[in-house]
Amino acid sequence: MALKSVETQVPRAIGPSPDASERELLERIARSKDQAAFRTLYSSYYQRLSRLLARMSVRREDIEEVINDTFWVVWTKAGEFRGASQLSTWIIGIAYRRALNALRRAKIRPVSDEPFDEDSISVASTDDAETDGQWLALGLSRLPVEQRMALELTYTLGHSCEEVAAILDCPVNTVKTRLFRARETLKQVLPALAGMSGENS
Amino acid sequence: MSPRIPDTHAEAWALLPWLASGRIPANDREWVEGHVGSCAECRAELASQRMVANQMYGQMYGNSTSPESAATDEQRSFNKLWARIDASESASLPASGARVAVSRSSRTVRWLAAAVIIQGFGLALFGFNALRNSAPAGEIVTVADVPTQRLNAPAVRVVFAPEASIGTINTLLANQGLTIVSGPGTAGNFTAALSADAVASGASADSVAAVISKDPNVSFAQPVAR
Repeated sequence: MALKSVETQVPRAIGPSPDASERELLERIARSKDQAAFRTLYSSYYQRLSRLLARMSVRREDIEEVINDTFWVVWTKAGEFRGASQLSTWIIGIAYRRALNALRRAKIRPVSDEPFDEDSISVASTDDAETDGQWLALGLSRLPVEQRMALELTYTLGHSCEEVAAILDCPVNTVKTRLFRARETLKQVLPALAGMSGENS
Repeated sequence: MSPRIPDTHAEAWALLPWLASGRIPANDREWVEGHVGSCAECRAELASQRMVANQMYGQMYGNSTSPESAATDEQRSFNKLWARIDASESASLPASGARVAVSRSSRTVRWLAAAVIIQGFGLALFGFNALRNSAPAGEIVTVADVPTQRLNAPAVRVVFAPEASIGTINTLLANQGLTIVSGPGTAGNFTAALSADAVASGASADSVAAVISKDPNVSFAQPVAR
């Protein structure tokens, strides 16, 4: 099994949504309980949170509840947001904590206990990207939720190290440690990834 | 303040994920890139992290549902939240302001007050249309025409909110695999049966009633005892 060649450039400009315009929406909610502003803010986060929560192993039927619980807090506490952090880190942080509660309630252990089975990866596909994706999905399923979320927040939502720390409510060094361990675990699962580092060292 | 230049392999290694994502702070970028330029191990690690970042980004955003379906899900979800907010704020109003509140924001209270009048007429019309629309062109289906197996299927008793449109209700029914088999009753209630596909996929009268009872387009829902 070979992973496809890597790109050598930063693939895209990723990052959290513009904070200034979202703060304006929040101020309208806090000031005048503006439903249109609330709807716009909800819309800008709905898909992002849906996908993130799915990646946390939150059950499909619980995802909507977690998002709505999160925005219930946004609606009721909008006036209490003091801007010490990015608005996105505040909202995603609330969703993260609600999701952890949902996982506990559902007694879901968000890490696969199944023994690693290389044969579970389809070799029928001639699409390298598809095969790579299967390997990576398997690798991610082996990670504790805290490590997986550190990766997701960094790579798919484009948050800085400090923002990830704020969302996960932990020190910056803890984020770095979680990512370090996640990378090491992925290397055990993804042989080509391990080889890539090894062959050049 | 002069930039900090740690020049240690371990510190650069720890920051490689954010160099890969492009979110490394400006004051760290220069020295980390400088280190990577002279460290083969970090260059290989950076390449592998960029590959992982690309794959994760593709998985997160590449397999999404259709925009139309996503928009419908989002709107339905927001409607639920807004109904919850509306109900909460109505409930928290002081008693002396209740009359004003009803006219301003308590749609729920007004629904209840108007339900007896509106549902008798409006939902009777809906029931007629719903049954008619499920029939082949040119035919009107009565309850007597509903197949026996459908009448014996798990079913829920439901009263729709007066403000719910027929299109919304049809979508709600279709999403749950429900078909109206009788109604409206004297309280504006309908009986809707679960499709065989919905039952095969694990749905039950209890589970569907629990789901739709939370929908703001539904005033009341409960499983029918069989």
